[in-house]
Amino acid sequence: MATASAGERRVRRLCLTALAVALPAAILVHSRGDLLDLLREAMREPTVVERGEVQPYGGADWRMTELTRLPGELPGTVVILAEFEAAAIGPARLREAVPCVVALTDDRGRRWEPVFLTEPAVRRTRPDALEKPRCGAFEGSEEDGPIMMAESFLVPEDARGLSLSVALAGASPDRLLFR
Amino acid sequence: MNGRIGGVAAVLLTAAILYGMQRTTPLYSEITSPVPVRGMQGERVDTSAFAVGIAAVHLARTVTVEAFGQDRRYATSGVWVIVEAAAEAKRESLSLASADWLGPDGVRYRASQRFSIMPGMPGTERLEPGIPRPMLMAFEVPESQLAGATLLIARSAYTPLLEEAWIEMAGVEPENIRQSITLGRGNRLLPWTLEAE
Repeated sequence: MATASAGERRVRRLCLTALAVALPAAILVHSRGDLLDLLREAMREPTVVERGEVQPYGGADWRMTELTRLPGELPGTVVILAEFEAAAIGPARLREAVPCVVALTDDRGRRWEPVFLTEPAVRRTRPDALEKPRCGAFEGSEEDGPIMMAESFLVPEDARGLSLSVALAGASPDRLLFR
Repeated sequence: MNGRIGGVAAVLLTAAILYGMQRTTPLYSEITSPVPVRGMQGERVDTSAFAVGIAAVHLARTVTVEAFGQDRRYATSGVWVIVEAAAEAKRESLSLASADWLGPDGVRYRASQRFSIMPGMPGTERLEPGIPRPMLMAFEVPESQLAGATLLIARSAYTPLLEEAWIEMAGVEPENIRQSITLGRGNRLLPWTLEAE
């Protein structure tokens, strides 16, 4: 077989090197920005808010007022009642920012969604919390002061370092993490 | 001369490899099908999103379900397979809505929907991380599809590339078929009661 000349070898090396650049570039272009959005969202850290502090987000000033542990009905579980409020500073923007996604996270990275039905412990010990709407009910409340909200979660007793995550679709990919 | 023979051999080898690849190209449905995580009955099977273990398997000709003060009897031309299991979410809240019985002949039987309102049936309760919960599944299968079957459990039947627990069943034999099983409502800890006759 004929041996390639030094010029041919250089061209081949150049082509292989160009391939390493051209292939990722082609994937990036064909994703039409989705890949960049995905990477940006994955790398974005939430805004951490300490308990009691106020943080502007999605057209309102947000504050977590209480995170209460109540006994769970199932063995080895507790009910976490999260109470938080949003004082509208841009009512129209806040109304358009729904849906609101709330979750509880722990120091092991586990994530709990709010329970559908009211836990008996909440009904028994905190009936006042039942009156509070869930996150996302922002219609026409801006005149009455802050919107007081409550969500409850069923978590195992060993869950530590609990934080409340609040994300509004209209303010995505930013989200709040109340510690 | 040797170089030319080598070149021809390389071309033939490449053609053979390409032909083989063309003949074995998987279907799109196969590429995007759930990823099996295999385990055995009686052991905990861990996927990245959930864990599940089979506690008991009951076989019967009829199932009676107690609901709203009435007994409803469900007959079948095959055999009822009632599976009691426990499942737990690992990282985030989720539901296990898909359960299939894969018979030894490769035929899949979806979980029966005839009394799917029974608490604990697939999709009726959301699983929370770190909180194991009982799970109940019912299948109607021919007698020939009992021994050597595999139970498939996943979050959803239609979500591609998610993991699916494939649990090899043991001791599910036709000689263990009972005449009747009665399912009743339990409490929050164990949402059903089961009596075999």
